[in-house]
Amino acid sequence: MKEPLPMHRESVLPNVLAGDAPRVEDPPMDSDAFAGFYERSARPLWAYLARVSGDGALADDLMQESFVRFLCASQPEEGEVAGRRYLFRIATNLLRDHWRRRRQVSIEELPEELYAVSPSSTSAELLGPALARMRPRERQLLWLAHAEGYTHREIAEVTGLASASIRLLLFRARRKIANLLREQSSTPRRQP
Amino acid sequence: MITRACAHENEVAELLRRGQWPASCSPELHAHVSGCRSCGDLVLVTENFQRARAEATSTARINTPGALWWRAQLRRRNAAVERINKPILGAQIFALVINLFIVVAFLAYQARHGLGWLSWLEQLPEAYKLHIDQLGQFALLNPGWSLMVLIPAVATLALLGGVVVYLASEKP
Repeated sequence: MKEPLPMHRESVLPNVLAGDAPRVEDPPMDSDAFAGFYERSARPLWAYLARVSGDGALADDLMQESFVRFLCASQPEEGEVAGRRYLFRIATNLLRDHWRRRRQVSIEELPEELYAVSPSSTSAELLGPALARMRPRERQLLWLAHAEGYTHREIAEVTGLASASIRLLLFRARRKIANLLREQSSTPRRQP
Repeated sequence: MITRACAHENEVAELLRRGQWPASCSPELHAHVSGCRSCGDLVLVTENFQRARAEATSTARINTPGALWWRAQLRRRNAAVERINKPILGAQIFALVINLFIVVAFLAYQARHGLGWLSWLEQLPEAYKLHIDQLGQFALLNPGWSLMVLIPAVATLALLGGVVVYLASEKP
């Protein structure tokens, strides 16, 4: 395991927090704790953002912003598991804001083709095309449930949806993607 | 749509979550999954997503946490500065309103009573003109004279107010 990077604030950014600058509250975790949390959480978060958005560059940006907002939060969740869930919640909100900015409609109304996973993305051979035909909200739910292993309650917490509706939405999404996966596996693949 | 869950779904999901599917699966459960649509979907979808997750996490482009840490510190500091500046802005607006009120009140008073004090100034004996302290004492006794104190006071207040607004507006 990598050693956490030494970070001395005064040597990196001299006078940033010194002098008569206003007092800044203590961050939710110190730099070493954050380095460890980042090492464990960054890859799963990037995978979620990249596979749901279908855009690696966007995933890079949103992941960085998610971590910065996590550190800026006044009262982030305590504990590694809750902290990671909170991080996914921030990322989910950022993703939703990104989609809304691009087009002023509800995320539920977005057509799947508009935000389809790009063919150049490093997707699993079978899942990639099937995921591309799902709606963004369905991708989020499926990823959180089946890749991250979150319960319905945790998914509700991350997505902001009602816990009672998660079950039905997830059931429909799972059935839809299972049909697509079976359809694809039964279709002979094209030779390049 | 009927979404009745299969009785074995939780058991299958648990095995999948632990990575024990199909190694630790009993032959009965395996046979059930082969015939159950709901459990079949669960296994198919979860296996595919777990593979995709493993692939994506191995190809993730991760930067060092240090830069993010400092970026967050700077943002927290800027937010703190903004929080502090909000009441200062309120005070500036309040001071401006008070100054404007004084000026308007003074102009209204002058408009109502005329600029009588100017004619009085012309009639002032030469001996009084340079004795400001005596003038001040006399102003207390005569309401007309109080303007002689009020006008410089308002002017000084406005001047100092401007300096304070300027100094307070300067970003650290």
